[in-house]
Amino acid sequence: MQSGYAVHSLQANLSVVLASTWMRLLTISRYKGQLISDIVVPIVMASMPILLGRATAGDQAGQIFEARTGTANYVAYMLIGSSVFTIVSSSFWHIANWLRWEMQTGTLEALYMTPTGRVWIAAGTALYSMLRSTLSAFVSYFAGSLILGVNPFQGELLMALVFILVGLLPVYGMALIFGAVVLKLKEANALINLMQWLVSFLMGVYFPVAILPPFFRFLALAFPPTWMTNGVRSALLGVGYFFGVWYKDLAVLWVFLFIAPLAGYFIFTRVETAMRRNEGLGQF
Amino acid sequence: MTNPVRISNISKTYHTLQRKGIFKSVKRDVQALEDISFDVRPGEIFGLLGPNGAGKTTLIKILTTLLLPSGGEAWINGYHVERQPNQVRASVGCMLMGERGLYWKLTARENLEYFGALYHLSPADRKRRANQVIELIGIQDLADRAVETYSSGQKMKLAFGKALINDAPLLVLDEPTNTLDVPSASELRAIVRRLNAEGKTIIYTTHIMTEAETLCERVAIIDHGKLLALGSVPELKASMQQSQVTRVEGVISQKALNSVQLLPMVEQATLTNVNSHNLLTVVTQNERQFLPGLIEALSISGAVIQKIIPQEVTLEDVFIAKTGRTLAEDTAKR
Repeated sequence: MQSGYAVHSLQANLSVVLASTWMRLLTISRYKGQLISDIVVPIVMASMPILLGRATAGDQAGQIFEARTGTANYVAYMLIGSSVFTIVSSSFWHIANWLRWEMQTGTLEALYMTPTGRVWIAAGTALYSMLRSTLSAFVSYFAGSLILGVNPFQGELLMALVFILVGLLPVYGMALIFGAVVLKLKEANALINLMQWLVSFLMGVYFPVAILPPFFRFLALAFPPTWMTNGVRSALLGVGYFFGVWYKDLAVLWVFLFIAPLAGYFIFTRVETAMRRNEGLGQF
Repeated sequence: MTNPVRISNISKTYHTLQRKGIFKSVKRDVQALEDISFDVRPGEIFGLLGPNGAGKTTLIKILTTLLLPSGGEAWINGYHVERQPNQVRASVGCMLMGERGLYWKLTARENLEYFGALYHLSPADRKRRANQVIELIGIQDLADRAVETYSSGQKMKLAFGKALINDAPLLVLDEPTNTLDVPSASELRAIVRRLNAEGKTIIYTTHIMTEAETLCERVAIIDHGKLLALGSVPELKASMQQSQVTRVEGVISQKALNSVQLLPMVEQATLTNVNSHNLLTVVTQNERQFLPGLIEALSISGAVIQKIIPQEVTLEDVFIAKTGRTLAEDTAKR
C-alpha cells in the first residue's frame, strides 16, 4: 500500500503551479469589471499628483521636477510610480486575498487536504498575480501616456521589464510573510490598507527616496520595491541608478530574490504548522 | 492486511481565549478528544456518530491531516498522519464541509479538474476522471454551469464527487446526505454502497440513525471527546439485550420525566420534542412488569398519554442510552 503514494516530482508540482494559475485566470475572467479597474486605477492615481504639479508650478513644473529627480518628464515619472505600485500592491493583495477568501469559503481546508505542498499553490497564485498585474500595468502605462500626452516608448523597455520581473520575486516572498500574518490574524482588509500606504511611502511612488529623512531612506532601501521602481525609472527616464550602473542595482535585487522567498517560506510554514497544532484553518 | 485506519490514544486540546467584554480575555483549554483508539477494517463502512461538539469533526480533521493531535498517533493506509501527511492526503478522499470547499465561480468540471491537478493527475487523467465522476454522481446536465447557480443539494453532490476525484481507497464522508432531498439521499447512499462493494473503505458520519443502521457495518459513538461505544450495529443492540424500550407520546412535563426516572427498573429515561409532540423514551429491564408503574407515575404527574409504543432496541436507543439524548434533538439545536 505504501508505494502508491510517493512524493511527487518537480514536473508534477510545476503542473500544479500552472493548474492553479489557470484556475485563477478562469475565475477572474468571470469578474470582467475587475480587469478594467486594474488598468484605470494607476492612471487615476498618477493623474492626481500630475494635475497638482501643473496647478502649483504651471509651465515650470518640468524644470523644477528635473532639479530634484533627474528628469523633467514628471508625467511618465508618476505613471511609472503608480504602475509599479499597482504591481507590488497587487502581489500583496492577491496572496492575502487568496488565503483570506479561501479561508472564508472553505476551499483553503479543501486545498490542505490534497497532497500538494502549499508553496506550489502559492507559486501558482503568484504567477497569476504576476501575469495579471504586469500586463495591466503595461497597458495602464501605455494608455496613461497617450492620455496624458507623453511618449511611452522612450528609454529601455526591455531593461524596465527585467527590473520588474527580478524585483517581483522577492516581493512575492514578502507577500508570503504577509500571508502568514493574514492566516494568523484572520484579517486581510485592514492589513492590506496599512500595507498599501506603507508600500507607496517607502518605494517612492511619487517622489525620489533621496528626499526622505535618513531613517526612512534606510528603511526604503531595505525594501525591494524601491529598487524595482528606481530601476524602471532609470531604464525608461534615465533618473540614475542608486549605484550608478544597472547591473549593481540588479545585483541588489538578486540578493533580495534569494533572501525574501526563503524567509517567506520559512515563516509561512511555521505559522501553518502552529495553526494545525491548535485551531486549524477552519476557524475564520 | 493492514487496517486502513489505526487510531491509538488520540487526544486533542484546543487553546482558546474566553472573551470578557472588549479588552479582557482569559486563556482556556478545551479538551476536544480524549484517548480515542479504534481501527477501521478494510472494506467496511464505519459509522462515526455523536452529537454536535462531540469531537467527530476534530477526529476527522486529524485523520485528514488538517489538525495535529495533542497526543497519540494515527495511521491512514499505513502512513503516519504527522510524519507522512502528503501520503495520507493522497490516499484519502474526503468530503468534509459539504457545499463549502468548492469554487463557486467555476463549473463542476473545472472544479473537479483543478482538484485532480492538486492530486497530481496528468491533464488527460484529470479530464477522464472528472468525466467519470460527473457521470457517477449524475450531474451531466450541470457539469458546465457555474457552481453558484446550483441548488444546495446539487452542490452537496458535487462536493461528494470531489471526494472521489483521486479514486482513493479510503473515503471520509461527513454528513454527505445533509441538505439532500429524499430521492437524492437514497441515490447517494446507493453510490456509497457501490463504491464499498468495489472495495473502498468508508468512514461515514451522520445524524440520521436509520441511515447509520442500514449503511454501516460498525459504529463508534463519541461524546464529549470520549469513545462511548464501538461495535457492529447488532453487537451494540445486543449490549442492550436485557433492556426493553418503551416510547410514550403525549403532553409530558419535565416533572413527569423526573418521577419516571425515580421508578425502579428504569435504566434511562429521556424526554424529547419531535414534531411538536413530547416523546418519552424509557429503557427498562422488564417492560411487562414496569408498564403499570409507568402509567401511574405519568398520570399522577399530570401527563396526558396519547400513545404507548413498546419497541425493539434500535441504534437510536443505543445512542440515547450512551449519551442521554437523541441525535435528532441535538441536530435541531444547530
